[in-house]
Amino acid sequence: MAIELIENGESIKSDLLTLNMGPQHPATHGVLRVEIKTDSEIVAEAIPHIGYLHRCKEKHSENLDYRGVIPFCDRMDYLAAMSMEWGYALTVEKMLGTEVPRRAEYIRVMIGELQRLASHLMFFGVYAIDLGAFSPFLYAFQKREFILRIFEELSGARLLYNYYWIGGVWNDINDGQLRRIAKFVDEMKTELDKYHTLVGENKIFIDRTANVATLTPKQVYSYGATGPVMRGSGIKWDLRKDRPYSIYEEFDFDVQVGHGEKGTVGDCWDRYHVRMREMHESIKIIEQCLDGIEEGPVMGKVPKIIKVPEGETYMRTECPRGELGYHLISDGGKTPYRLKVKSSCFTHTSMLGEMAPGQMIADFVATIGSIDIVLGEVDR
Amino acid sequence: MNNKTSGLTPDLHAQFAENSKRYEKELTFGGWFNNIWRSIVSVSKGMYITFRYVWAEKPVTIEYPEVREVLPENSRSRLFNDAENCISCLQCANACPVDCIYITATRRDKEAEKIKTKDGTPIRLDLQQYTIDTALCMYCGLCTTVCPTECLTHTTDYEFASYTLDNMKYDYLADYIRAWRDRIVKD
Repeated sequence: MAIELIENGESIKSDLLTLNMGPQHPATHGVLRVEIKTDSEIVAEAIPHIGYLHRCKEKHSENLDYRGVIPFCDRMDYLAAMSMEWGYALTVEKMLGTEVPRRAEYIRVMIGELQRLASHLMFFGVYAIDLGAFSPFLYAFQKREFILRIFEELSGARLLYNYYWIGGVWNDINDGQLRRIAKFVDEMKTELDKYHTLVGENKIFIDRTANVATLTPKQVYSYGATGPVMRGSGIKWDLRKDRPYSIYEEFDFDVQVGHGEKGTVGDCWDRYHVRMREMHESIKIIEQCLDGIEEGPVMGKVPKIIKVPEGETYMRTECPRGELGYHLISDGGKTPYRLKVKSSCFTHTSMLGEMAPGQMIADFVATIGSIDIVLGEVDR
Repeated sequence: MNNKTSGLTPDLHAQFAENSKRYEKELTFGGWFNNIWRSIVSVSKGMYITFRYVWAEKPVTIEYPEVREVLPENSRSRLFNDAENCISCLQCANACPVDCIYITATRRDKEAEKIKTKDGTPIRLDLQQYTIDTALCMYCGLCTTVCPTECLTHTTDYEFASYTLDNMKYDYLADYIRAWRDRIVKD
């Protein structure tokens, strides 16, 4: 509550308090600085300042050959690096007209969904930490560790994989790994229910997140938010279902939307719950992949030196955090002429200014956590 | 919260008050007890899950200096170049996205003894310098995939922290590299 000073019968008014959250703030998930103007404990205005992790990815790509861009794509969203590579590989394949072998497609879908699981588990753990619970983070990391181990065996690295190559994937997956994945996803089903009982059904968690930072479909459309943030507001839109790429049209899964069980549609709890249910859908897809995986090569026919024909294309994929778009312009040379990345996290960061006014500062932390941004992708 | 005490931004406070009023149901006597009951039930459910980890789950952490994790076979860690099998083709240096491989080679004398690599490729160039700036390397693995004689490989050694940046520049023709080669690379 703001203090009103009275001197000689006239009130003296002070300014709004400017508070810098970040860039080194544990609740901002990386190096995001949010300049918030507060009146007592209520946020009047929030201005996100980005660019602390800018590494000139787009400019850098113009000087690299098409294969050399892939490791740089990893470094955008370092928590879902496989999905980042996938979008780029699809873009170049679309321009080259390369046919990806069936086995490689199955591996891509399976690994992509495992990556979604890993990324959402990370969200689950970190969101619980934001709201003051530490142990869910450890449980989530324990399960995430298994996924990273499988990725390490396949690609050789734990976070920045360079696994999806143009025309296929780098290494083949063996039967032992497939069996381990099958056992893991089987365990995950009960494990996820346990996590939801631990965090999602908790009274304190519900009180902190329900009815906080509600996004209406109109706001979502006007800002262009995608992914779980959009689906949390009750809009049924998933690129895997509505604009299928790769072999997603062969799989049977549902698009999860927020229903507002604990509060209103589009609040923080809905965004959390959409992600939790999305993990169950990912498990469904992985199981279908394990059943249907075919034998064969994992790399298509790609020339040794890739020269993409002149022209331009735009390709978008559904990443764990939302839509990722690549706009590639080629002049027929060895390097891309221009590679523009459309990132969903950037859009979501810009929505902070819309969601914050009229909120408590503590709720603002819950808001930042619920949109699940990775600053590497925002700044690129 | 009334407008008198709201200070600077009456609109904002009014909005906040309205927001909290809209979502708050009227508190009845039954509702008050219901609230407490739900809190107790949900927290004790969570506590049951958490306390299970005390006895029912095995520890998953590795006590690092005593127990060292063995990385998978194709794990991408410190690079190693077996200089005797290198034909100085410069493909790794070209493939490297960050240009951290420095190679100098001179043409081999025609009169000199003909030498071959392990897989039988004739060596036509004498390798004068093969240096990798490991501090610059981003471990993407592109250099190892283009190597025709497979002399440049990623080892599974991950303990190579160093105090200075200069120490991170590995000259693969020097003797001290041989020493850790014998320790790590098993063929």
